[in-house]
Amino acid sequence: MVKISVLQHDPSVHLPARPGDPTPTTRNLDPLMHPFARARERNRALNAAKMDRLFAKPFVGALEGHIDAIEVLSKKPGSLSTVASGSWDGGVILHNVSERKHIRRIQGAHKGKVSGLCFAQDDRLLSCGVDSNIKLWDATPQDGPIQRPLSVYPGKSPFNSIDHHRSDPLFATASNIVQIWDETKSAAISDLTFPTSTETITSVRFNMSETSVLGSIGSDRTFTLYDIRTGKAERRVIMQMRSNALAWSPTFPTTVLLASEDHNLYTFDVRQLNTPTKIYKAHVAAVMSCDWSPTGLEFVSGGWDRTVRIWKEGQGTGPEVYHTKRMQRVSSSIFTADARFVLSGSDDGNVRIWKAKASEKLGIITARERAAIEYRESLKDRWKHDNEVGKIQRKRHLPKPVYQAAKLKRTMLDSRAVKEERRRKHTRAGESKPAAERKKVVIAEQT
Amino acid sequence: MDPLLVKANVVKHTSLPKSLRPTSPPPENVPKHKHIKDLKLRTKLNRQAIHAARSKALVEDADLLLTGDAGKMQVENEMERTWRIGQDDIVQGAGQEAAKGRRELKLDGGPYRSRYSRNGRHLAIVGTMGHVATFDWQTGTMHAELQLQETCRDITFLQDQSFFAVAQKKYVFIYDRDGVELHRLKSHIEPTRLEFLSYHWLLASVGNTGFLKYQDTSTGNIVAEHRTKLGACHTLAQNKHSAVLHLGHSNGVVTLWTPNLPHPAVQLLAHLGPVVGMSVDPSSGGRYMATSGQDGVVKVWDCRNWKGAVREWTTRGGGAELEWSAKGALSVAVGGSVNVYTKPSIQTSHPAKAPPPLYLTHPIPHRPLTSVRFCPFQDILTIGHNAGLSSILVPGAGEPNFDSAEADPFENKKARREREVKGLLDKIQPDMITLDPDFIGSLAPQTKLTTAVNDTHDIPFARLPRLERLRVQGKADDTEAVDDDNDGDEGDGDKSGKTQSRAEKEKRKMRGKGKSVKRYLRKQRKNVIDPTAVAIRAKLEKHREEKRVARAIEKGQMEPHKPSALDRFKRP
Repeated sequence: MVKISVLQHDPSVHLPARPGDPTPTTRNLDPLMHPFARARERNRALNAAKMDRLFAKPFVGALEGHIDAIEVLSKKPGSLSTVASGSWDGGVILHNVSERKHIRRIQGAHKGKVSGLCFAQDDRLLSCGVDSNIKLWDATPQDGPIQRPLSVYPGKSPFNSIDHHRSDPLFATASNIVQIWDETKSAAISDLTFPTSTETITSVRFNMSETSVLGSIGSDRTFTLYDIRTGKAERRVIMQMRSNALAWSPTFPTTVLLASEDHNLYTFDVRQLNTPTKIYKAHVAAVMSCDWSPTGLEFVSGGWDRTVRIWKEGQGTGPEVYHTKRMQRVSSSIFTADARFVLSGSDDGNVRIWKAKASEKLGIITARERAAIEYRESLKDRWKHDNEVGKIQRKRHLPKPVYQAAKLKRTMLDSRAVKEERRRKHTRAGESKPAAERKKVVIAEQT
Repeated sequence: MDPLLVKANVVKHTSLPKSLRPTSPPPENVPKHKHIKDLKLRTKLNRQAIHAARSKALVEDADLLLTGDAGKMQVENEMERTWRIGQDDIVQGAGQEAAKGRRELKLDGGPYRSRYSRNGRHLAIVGTMGHVATFDWQTGTMHAELQLQETCRDITFLQDQSFFAVAQKKYVFIYDRDGVELHRLKSHIEPTRLEFLSYHWLLASVGNTGFLKYQDTSTGNIVAEHRTKLGACHTLAQNKHSAVLHLGHSNGVVTLWTPNLPHPAVQLLAHLGPVVGMSVDPSSGGRYMATSGQDGVVKVWDCRNWKGAVREWTTRGGGAELEWSAKGALSVAVGGSVNVYTKPSIQTSHPAKAPPPLYLTHPIPHRPLTSVRFCPFQDILTIGHNAGLSSILVPGAGEPNFDSAEADPFENKKARREREVKGLLDKIQPDMITLDPDFIGSLAPQTKLTTAVNDTHDIPFARLPRLERLRVQGKADDTEAVDDDNDGDEGDGDKSGKTQSRAEKEKRKMRGKGKSVKRYLRKQRKNVIDPTAVAIRAKLEKHREEKRVARAIEKGQMEPHKPSALDRFKRP
């Protein structure tokens, strides 16, 4: 006898048991059942990359109120929405970012520009200005014409920057020297300066984990480290160009980020100051400000070239770039405490709110949507080396002046490299060696 | 704090939910990437490799979960033959649901041709005199029935049962499910055969004019028109795994076409006389092709190597219609009967021109037999003939386990709509059709070193492309990229063999037409001394030498050379 069996599908297995039930699905992972699986996946990756660019609408809104250029922005520690901005008109505004309202508006806080802002404990705000005064304000919401500071600390020379100690009632200011102040005393409790330094200090920042360490940058192209326990400048490096801003990494206590006048940003490991750990190149004019994301994986920078850029830590090129038609030179930029938004203050007197991820959807995301987003992310990552997918992911539209400047800069740097190589070729063998780019940054390290 | 404690703390707050945690231990034989110095990169690669190995193992596990049982006919002793079993016996042995597949449709206006939809649920039939019908054959629901009153030569469903195209006397027409004429495709003139490439959304037709035309059914554009220059064409088959179209011509030539090539990708003389039937094996990923000619010969070809047929045999009664099932059963309809052959024997080469062992045969008295179609996911073979259509049961022909994401016989309206949208989003561009569909996502071939060094002057290092800079520095990674699919089952021992056979591969590589002049030129080229190549070789040699010296100095075997004023008189 011959055994015979003929294939048949049982409909009861493949049809819903009751009306309204989901239809049962089956899977067969045999590759023969899925022709063109790779080509289709690539197509999906391409669509994912396109969708990403399609939904890239990073601009969320602008916070108005100042009548002159914004000089400084500061976020309140422990708060997601409170941000203070100081302007060249001498005004200070406390913004509620989520409601886009003013919590408090202090007009004429200083004569001339407000050069530094930082929050102190118990909802208080410290501001310093070029009128050589430091003022302590109450930062609770209140209206009324009479707004007087809680206390005033007079100084001898115009201040450029201020930063508060993480836990103690101490703060540091930068003028021609670095001074440490106690909130309860009206004069500085100590002066910190590098023995040979005579130049202006432009910015000063406390380290967040090693709380007695602070770093400063000056117009003499230096980056200096101080310790308030010893009351001395510990070490400094002199670089090719001066830095405009510095920020300590919130997660790697030894990492410091410098925004330099030579269009680049540098991260340094303070244990090893002779070379930067990474150079971040994309700006086409001086970088004016920088701030770390609270995760320490990203940071934002604003530049003289009217763009805001968001960098990944350790990835020196290809940052996300934001710009608008009306945004002028960006003098200050900060990350919000939830790492989702970026604020930039510019010469046109507006504080702008940007999304940190340009194509992120704001609002509630359902589980299915989340799964689809994650799938798209992994597809983009998997196919990023494909020519078309990669091109779409990398390409950013730039304003024409920025684009032209970048092109010109590229040409200049390239021809400089070629010239250098030709010169080396025609000098005696072994005379000059090509130096790595990272070795050129620091001129001298002094202790 | 104790590092272990910290780790436990972190794990508690960041780990996956228990149900999602990978429980299986990391698979063995995962490459460790020890040659990579960058720790971060190495960890990343290791993690990827483990993930890939683990998912591979999971795929193997998933095979065990497939529930469907393929049909079969098995003899119990050597004297019995499966082909002696008639359809009546098979119907008796089949289940109640499966027995419904055995049907006879008696229709006027034949001979008939038929086509199943991709999920095997719907059937479209067309008679030469213009009778067209589409219906759900399982429930017996008729979608449309038309009397077109003119010669109709072929029919095909488009993406699903909601549209179908008919090759009529002058043009191709597209109808919707209810039989309403939607489009008259005037650029397809006197079509004889139609094929729909479902992943590319292309409708292809050949006709008496000898043109092969591709039309995109989602945009309506004509994607390509190829003049075959071989006259009227009556045979067309598609390779389901590469979307390459196979054309059989009246002078016995078989040509393979893609939209992006203006000439055939492959052209071979298959038969002495017109080619009548053709089919590509879906069960082996499109590796085998079967052709039949008016000379009464059936040939099975290996599509990787066109040197002669793998197997050929003669049939009685002239040209045969052919169709290959999803599980690799080949049906040959010729003369007054349909013969079915099964897999290992038809694809193994056999010196004698004897037919392979027969699996099943069924006589049909209504000549001519004009089409054979296997129903997807069923053990059913539908034969079109002069008096209508007959469906017979072929146990073991159909794939028992369907994938709902690809084609589902039981899908509802919503799922059909969903699939249509998904299919459009995943539509592959016609340019991507090639003989080897796996080229997507593989590495580009290495470029030759041509710009690094020139005859007259060398390009500055700073202006070289990155890859060539790395090569000059000796930092380029020249280790061969191994395909994900292959590295598992090939051991380390195979690697040396692979590199050895590289030269051989290059020698045997197919380069379009193997004309003798070209071959001669190619051989001559070996003796040409290319100054560029020589210079490059010299430069690389120099670098290697410098490296060797540096290493020797480091070990203290050599004295370092001090630069002196006399160096300038040294010859380079």
